[in-house]
Amino acid sequence: MTFSDFVGHEDAKLALVLNAIDPGCGGVLFTGERGGGKSTLSRLFKKILPEDTPFIELPLNVTEDALLGGIDIEETIKAGRRVFQPGILSRADHGVVYVDDINLLSLEMLSLVLEVSGLGENIIEREGIAFRHTSRFILVATMNEEEGVLSPHLLDRFGMMVLCEGLEDVRQRIEIMKTAAPEVFGPPSFGQGDHELSERIRSCRLFLKDVTIPVETMGYIVQMCIEANLAGSRGDICLMYASRAHAAYRGSMEVTRDDVDAVAPLVLAHRKRASQQQQQQGRQRQEQQQSDRQAGRDGRREPQEQTGSEGHEGQGQQHGAQPGDERPAPDEFRSDRDGGEPSSNEENGQQREAGGKEEVFDIGASFRTKRMMFRKDRINRLESGRRTKTGSRDKSGRYIKGIQRKRDDIAIDATLRAAAPYQKARGRTGMVLIHDDDLRFKQREKKMGHLVVFVVDGSGSMGARRRMVETKGAVQSLLMDCYQKRDRVSMIVFRRDRAEVVLPPTSSVELASKRLKEIPVGGKTPLTAGLMETYRLIKRVTARSPETRVIGVLITDGRANQGLSDAPIDQEIEKMTRLLSGLRSADYIVVDTEDQAGFFRTGLARKIASRLDADYHTIDGLKSGCLFEMVRMKKTEGIGI
Amino acid sequence: MIFPFTAIVGQEEMKLGLILNVINPSIGGLLIMGEKGTAKSTAVRALAELLPEIETVKGCPFNCDPDGPLCTGCRETLEKECRLERERKKMKVVELPLGVTEDRLIGTLDIEHAIKKGEKRFEPGILAGANRNFLYVDEVNLLEDHIVDLLLDSAAMGVNTVEREGVSFTHPARFILVGTMNPEEGDLRPQLLDRFGLCVHVGSIADKAERVEILRRKAAFDADPEKFTAEWQPEQDMLSKRIGAAKKRLGHIRPSDTVLEDIVSITASLDLDGHRADIVLMKAAMTLAAFRSAGKDENKDTRLMGDLSYAASTITNDDIRKVAGLALSHRMKRLPFEEMGMDMRRLEAALSMGFSHDVQ
Repeated sequence: MTFSDFVGHEDAKLALVLNAIDPGCGGVLFTGERGGGKSTLSRLFKKILPEDTPFIELPLNVTEDALLGGIDIEETIKAGRRVFQPGILSRADHGVVYVDDINLLSLEMLSLVLEVSGLGENIIEREGIAFRHTSRFILVATMNEEEGVLSPHLLDRFGMMVLCEGLEDVRQRIEIMKTAAPEVFGPPSFGQGDHELSERIRSCRLFLKDVTIPVETMGYIVQMCIEANLAGSRGDICLMYASRAHAAYRGSMEVTRDDVDAVAPLVLAHRKRASQQQQQQGRQRQEQQQSDRQAGRDGRREPQEQTGSEGHEGQGQQHGAQPGDERPAPDEFRSDRDGGEPSSNEENGQQREAGGKEEVFDIGASFRTKRMMFRKDRINRLESGRRTKTGSRDKSGRYIKGIQRKRDDIAIDATLRAAAPYQKARGRTGMVLIHDDDLRFKQREKKMGHLVVFVVDGSGSMGARRRMVETKGAVQSLLMDCYQKRDRVSMIVFRRDRAEVVLPPTSSVELASKRLKEIPVGGKTPLTAGLMETYRLIKRVTARSPETRVIGVLITDGRANQGLSDAPIDQEIEKMTRLLSGLRSADYIVVDTEDQAGFFRTGLARKIASRLDADYHTIDGLKSGCLFEMVRMKKTEGIGI
Repeated sequence: MIFPFTAIVGQEEMKLGLILNVINPSIGGLLIMGEKGTAKSTAVRALAELLPEIETVKGCPFNCDPDGPLCTGCRETLEKECRLERERKKMKVVELPLGVTEDRLIGTLDIEHAIKKGEKRFEPGILAGANRNFLYVDEVNLLEDHIVDLLLDSAAMGVNTVEREGVSFTHPARFILVGTMNPEEGDLRPQLLDRFGLCVHVGSIADKAERVEILRRKAAFDADPEKFTAEWQPEQDMLSKRIGAAKKRLGHIRPSDTVLEDIVSITASLDLDGHRADIVLMKAAMTLAAFRSAGKDENKDTRLMGDLSYAASTITNDDIRKVAGLALSHRMKRLPFEEMGMDMRRLEAALSMGFSHDVQ
């Protein structure tokens, strides 16, 4: 297959061509669903580059020495002095470094690659070697957001970002099937197009430096970046070079506004930040949608892609996948259980509370939640998962580099590199002579998951005003987040006279979702029993594996009316919250389900939150643009070494 | 002794999924979802018996195809000696144990050699042996996350590039990934899920007579494995032959535009991510057509086999229907954590919408 035969995705192809003309464009990141053609296109890139251009695919298994360079064991032993072995990045000079699934690369390697790419130079000061070489390359990478996203400041390092979704046009899809199976349909062409394109790029490179950028156009660029509310000037610079490359590609000697307009979506989409005003509008829009839904079709389960409006505005238009675009759910998927008017529901709710009747509510619309994240902590843990990066203590996890601190996990390559320069001096004849202080140990990294315990109020008061539907929607959204982070989850429901662990800790979020659906509502609110059960669960879990971090998510309106003993409920709550906040391994979030606009606001849940030292949210507050961390590490002091 | 593949009772979808992959490895593997004790592992292990031979570079631990992409070692040999010696090897089922470490998976610096001789040498890992073979992961959903990353990396590139511990080595790693999992023990990452060409759901067999038959055969096999295997040999031979014939036929099947349009209209109505679904469905339907028509030959006169006209090998609507579940069920965009049952109803609806043509 050839680059020119690649069907569709003209913007993605343009991004690669512009980078080929001017590496100053800053590289490209392709995002989008799996199977959209990101990787295929990236690999075809080499076909339009001059023949001797290095094209390096960076494997996820790369270690620091292989990336940057280090001591050559074999040569060093032979020579008796340090011989440097260049790393991958030295081979990439004036070429392309391609990283498939860059969001899965170890964070440490990722920042090294981005650092060298930014500097254009690789500076090595390690293992007694000082060495530097230029390393200018075009960074091309792919990322599937389902597996987690890069932080905004890492995204900003990429000159361009393009969304590659699957194509919808039937003709194009058939073309793609044919190109994907050349053994059946024969090669679509013989690379003529690629040859022409490659020649054109070569000639563009020659006169690129002579393409002028009028001050007026620069003003236009800056204006555009200001309007998009970009942070820093990296965006401005990328937009300028991309526009210039575009002009060169057109064969023009002057950059015009049209050039800027043509490339702006590529450069700006991932850098755009909503200004305060826009955020405000966004919130209002969300609320509007929320009330629309309540008025009409409450039970639908269509996920809302509200966060999409942040990043992909430029592409969204081109691909017809408008952010926030709401396809009406087909009738058959709509739940017919709760088509009623809000007013009648309220009535039902009141009846329920009074009569202790039970009802199972549907799961409300889910949404992408704010991020729950802890800072990387310094304790080495045995758990695996994806929420927090952590050093790992057993021999699992990704080996990233050798270190000199003592452990039982010898990094033989690093040890040999340390011993190599002294072999002659030590009088080696056969075996390599390794002394104690040559020993190096593996530093590994893996992502650590958490146990997230959902403590859900299932009392009758939750049935009123469709609170349970919304609550389930909120829990569902948090579950999706847990799934992405590989957290384990557990669920406790309190209602009537007791609390029950309806889901013991499990890694199957699917199971959790099933249980969530089955939660019945009705009866009194034994809040303290719920807290007690939570305390017991956390105790049990941390007794078995003391390194587990627990996030307790308490979802309630706080109106406790069923105690554990004869003592006043408020006293019981105080006791329980004190016990819970004394657990060092746990953090809490309180989600208040009380109707914030309601007349009888009690603020009880907020009070509980402050007693637990918990983050407090209303259900609406959870639906954020994932800009802020929902949970911050609060108790590092107690845990860090 | 391994229980013969053809003696496995029921589970036709799973067996079909495996056979299609043997005939056409480019389908991209099979994920078998189901409870314990549903003959998942038995079937995968039994598959080894039926695998055809492949041509490889003699002595190459990576089973390099002499006419395909080569490993660093074979490339050096070719440069030095200008030719590669060939040998024929039977395809294998290589197992990937759950506790595997990353260096065992992708290969690493040969430590012994480094210490004894002070020289760097690459020690091949499991992916080396898996090239052009089946790579089998039991309970694939329990595989550690960073191992899955590496597996995805090689599966996507078809190449294992090792850049670590002072060694730099590249070898082709085109394996047919077969995984089993019990969905109740945890989910599979969507990206890994998508890497499996086909997916089947196996359940316990409810039919009493079939269950009795399972017991009967199991008892017979345990009592005298050699005798049992010998009894099933004719069946095994017949299937091997049919697979071989289907492999040959496959090269002659070319889907018409009408077939491709039908495939797209099915996948489009299901709103699937990306294009992998289209491609896999096309390949699976082609392969099934080849297998089906190879079966017809058998019933006729076997002497006529060979250069027969391949007119019979067109893809029918039934072929597409039969593999659609295998190719699409795991790619359906489930609204978060929606049950599988809902998917199947949507799939049936999409398939019943009818085809634009009616080939019998």
